[in-house]
Amino acid sequence: MLAEIAVILIRGIAIGALFSVVAMSFNIVHNASGIFNFAQGNIFILGGFGAYLLANGAGLGVWIPALILVACLVGALTAFQGWITLLPLRTSTEQDSWLISTVSVSVILAAGLLLIYGPFAYTVSGPLPGYRIFGVRTPGAFFLAIVAMFAWYFALRWFLNRTLTGLAISALSQDMEAARAAGIPVRKLQLLAFGISGMIAGSVGFAVAPIITVSPDAGLRYVLSGFIAAVVGGIGNNTGTLIGGPLVGVVSMLTAYKIGGAYQDLALLLVLAVILMFWPQGLFGRAAARRV
Amino acid sequence: MTATSATPATNPAKGSSFNSDRQQLMLGAVLILGTGLLPSLLGNAYWEHTFHLVNVYIAVSILQNFLFIDAGQKSFGQGAILGLGAYGFAIAFGLHGWGFLLATLVGVLAASVGGLLFALPALRVQGFHLGFVTMSAAIVFPQLLTQMSGLTRGINGISVSLPDLAAKPFLGLSWLTLLLTLVPIAALVLHYIIRNSRLGRRMRIAAESPEAARSLGIMPGGMRALAFVIASALTGLLGVLYVPAVGFISPQGFLLDLSFIFFFAVVVGGRGQLLGPIIGVWIIFILPSVLLVQLVEYKPLVYGILTLAAVLVFPDGIVGSFEAARRKRTQKGGGEGGFRLAAVNSALASLTPVPASTSTEPVVRVRGVTKRFGEVTAIEGIDLDVMPGEIHGLVGANGSGKTSLLNVLSGFTPASEGRYWLKGRDVTRRSAAQIGGMGIGRTFQNPRVFPFFSVWNNIRVGLDARRTPLDPQMQALADGFARTMAEDSPALLSHGQRRLLEVVRVLMKDSDLVLFDEPAAGLSPQEREDFGVLVRHLSRRLGKAVILVEHDLDLVWGIADRITVLETGRVVASGTPADLARDPAVQHLFVGGDHA
Amino acid sequence: MLEVRNLVAGYGDMPVIRDISLSVTAGEILLIGGENGAGKSTLLRAIAGFNRPGAGSVWLEGREVTGQAPEKVAQAGLRLVLDNHRVFPELTVRDNLRLGMAALEKSLRGSFDALEAETFDVFPILREKYKARARDLSGGQQQILALGQAFVARPKVLMCDEPSMGVAQALLPPILSFLRRWAQSGTAVIIVEQHLKITQPYADRAMIIRRGSVAINCPAADLDAQLANLHAERSAVHVGE
Repeated sequence: MLAEIAVILIRGIAIGALFSVVAMSFNIVHNASGIFNFAQGNIFILGGFGAYLLANGAGLGVWIPALILVACLVGALTAFQGWITLLPLRTSTEQDSWLISTVSVSVILAAGLLLIYGPFAYTVSGPLPGYRIFGVRTPGAFFLAIVAMFAWYFALRWFLNRTLTGLAISALSQDMEAARAAGIPVRKLQLLAFGISGMIAGSVGFAVAPIITVSPDAGLRYVLSGFIAAVVGGIGNNTGTLIGGPLVGVVSMLTAYKIGGAYQDLALLLVLAVILMFWPQGLFGRAAARRV
Repeated sequence: MTATSATPATNPAKGSSFNSDRQQLMLGAVLILGTGLLPSLLGNAYWEHTFHLVNVYIAVSILQNFLFIDAGQKSFGQGAILGLGAYGFAIAFGLHGWGFLLATLVGVLAASVGGLLFALPALRVQGFHLGFVTMSAAIVFPQLLTQMSGLTRGINGISVSLPDLAAKPFLGLSWLTLLLTLVPIAALVLHYIIRNSRLGRRMRIAAESPEAARSLGIMPGGMRALAFVIASALTGLLGVLYVPAVGFISPQGFLLDLSFIFFFAVVVGGRGQLLGPIIGVWIIFILPSVLLVQLVEYKPLVYGILTLAAVLVFPDGIVGSFEAARRKRTQKGGGEGGFRLAAVNSALASLTPVPASTSTEPVVRVRGVTKRFGEVTAIEGIDLDVMPGEIHGLVGANGSGKTSLLNVLSGFTPASEGRYWLKGRDVTRRSAAQIGGMGIGRTFQNPRVFPFFSVWNNIRVGLDARRTPLDPQMQALADGFARTMAEDSPALLSHGQRRLLEVVRVLMKDSDLVLFDEPAAGLSPQEREDFGVLVRHLSRRLGKAVILVEHDLDLVWGIADRITVLETGRVVASGTPADLARDPAVQHLFVGGDHA
Repeated sequence: MLEVRNLVAGYGDMPVIRDISLSVTAGEILLIGGENGAGKSTLLRAIAGFNRPGAGSVWLEGREVTGQAPEKVAQAGLRLVLDNHRVFPELTVRDNLRLGMAALEKSLRGSFDALEAETFDVFPILREKYKARARDLSGGQQQILALGQAFVARPKVLMCDEPSMGVAQALLPPILSFLRRWAQSGTAVIIVEQHLKITQPYADRAMIIRRGSVAINCPAADLDAQLANLHAERSAVHVGE
């Protein structure tokens, strides 16, 4: 009994850490531009495919450089996507346009992966050994997920608070006009934000490939959960995602164990509906969910 | 007497029209007839089957278009709604042997309930958040279908055959073919009818500007729910027809991709254009189906690329781009024949004045109203009286609370303390929509002029908001506008003309009280004079009370009967213009006032 | 240094300022006054690139900058300090100041420390609150911070929108003398202000905007007389009604 709870918790928190990471990548782009990048889920899975392609079963000697390479490539791709998305927008953010363009990029990514890899789920083995927790064998990647969440959380915190570029990006979400009046190059920084979000999602997707479903249609689950994690914590607030992510992960695991894996998405839908009806600003929310 | 000169001097092509909705309707009906009947008439069973499907998709996309643009609701879950209709019917008819009509009702009902469930979050959130909720529902739907196998046969799906529908009464056209041709045409016609009805206009305003909607007595939440129900019920009907069209349904047939197809078709075809969804389905579905018959796996990639290309290169979509080009060439509405302030003023000047009110009951009475936003007190302890027919100016610096007071009066913000009465009724706890329906009109700092309505329709929505019949003189005025402005485009109006348009709209509405929010901003000195004349007509000829929140002190002093001055949320002076001009407390408002 | 010719601008289609021309040279302070809604802020915003002008042109040191994005205009050396003492609330005083210079190319940045020190000399409160978050400062302190943020960028032209708003009266003279010294070091300065009496002694020239157009344009010393005339005319009309 205790073992089962412990396993649910650990796995839930670990999976939740992934949602948290996706949420953080949502946040940086949203803070800089007001855009929710719907393609973030597939970008995450792209990282997983990167691991399958370059480092399946490899040792750390190959894995680490491959990780960096994939992170940079996916980051660059996402920055390019950002450029395309921002193109019609000039200064205002007309919602329909970016909504449609991010959704279609997501569809293109998934379709492309489907064409190349087919509708199969690929197993990827990583360089880390597993551990026995409460008698249950838990792959190393679960711990890596939690480590990755904190690593990126602190990295972002350092970047946004200590480097001039990061401060400038942070300033965009606090007062866009004052930022422009100070000469801060808004468009360039928005592209950078996209690129960083890609690096985050891509690198973590790569790192946790052993424990996620590496398949062309798996991205949706992460977009959905990542979005909920972001809403629960308060859109734009990374500290909130540290709670939102694991919360969603545990709900997800709990549903899978107690009711059935097929009901996970339903549980998430209900969580989302409830949050939006009653606490659209989330726990630490600054920006409201466009209340009308 | 009409409000504009009868012969427009600078107007292009005769028969130019504001929008091409009617032509699109005709063309759309013809296209649907084509896709519906031609394959059967030509005796090709394969294409007949494919185009049955196409017509279903076209109809659902038409409804998606309506939901998206006419009602402003982003739903990524219409595929699930279609599925609810299909499964509702298939379970009732196919599994339980219920009668055809009863089973159809079940399908439509199931879909309508789905639509209502979508409407719930739509009351609280919009935009991306709503899209997300509907998308999640579309993901969950097939999973639930699979899980509830007791009810739905799960992944085994349900086979249904309706031999009666395959019967061919004439010309080799089966009942199914006829239904799948007529129902989509009916959906298109319905879209057209709704759009040109009072309901459709009010729905569209609620979609575009909930604020403006409330000031016209429209409840945005109600409109959204209604739109969802209409779209979903009809989509459910299409779901019922979908079943015999494909013969076999399973959860795999109602994945998220289906919902995306409808949405993409609307965007690529041209959102908001009647013909858009039809062209959209042609491009997104038919073309790839024809060209890529061997390469089924490439379809989603093609949808995605086409849609992305559309949003980047043709943001208005195919039909939308044509329409935009057509409008550029043929639109009319500016220049001499256009809508002009001086002309409206002379029309009003010729009206027989309404007898002056002998009532001693104020139209507006405010007692002790306070409004706090967290720690900040915007207005405090406001007392105010405005008599019928009085022009009352409300002035003060930025941050003095003028706009907060206006928002409290019109119901857009609830008062924290105090009470106020409009036309003798305590409306302290009333919503903006209720107050809007009570004979109060207001204008906004940015004139709410809707680019998708002609100039006349922009005015007409004021009429739509009426609860009582229009006075015959005003009716004549309105008829004049209807005659001359029905095809005029508001895009050609200058700012001053838009401001005027908003005022005339308020005129047409029941409005014993009119609230103006900084109406002079952006008007030239001449336009301000004309505006002043207009306001005097409203008061002296039409007996309306006017509250004028304004920065332009010369304008206010020129026309107000009484003026109230606010400073840091409190009333510091109130009286006639002459008295206040001498009041030292008011001097500093005027530049150089402290030099006097 | 800065020249504006026949500028027409507003919000969307709404023209707020009509046909305004002005010029400011290095070392000069132009005071712009007028009632609420007259168009003063709109004018500054249009010059700085926040509102695209419908007609007219803006020239900075002989180069046209009309309608360029605000970031570009700021990078070219024209800084607008927005009204309502806007700074980045979640960042510290230190980071706010650092960001003030972020947009400049490294070669133009000059000595940040020296500039920062100079700001601290005039406003020691900033040194005191160096590590505090901007949202914890009072309105007046935020205004000073906003000015400091612009100062470290060494702009050629500085435009200040209602520096007195939300600031205690007593703080205004030190701010104004800071601006005076700033001008004397070679910057062209425009100050939009409601409180003409306090500001006028520090200015060289003055302009009054009324209903979107220029009503008075004169040396600062003549402002009182001109205003008295204007006011007398209007009062006669108002009282006479």
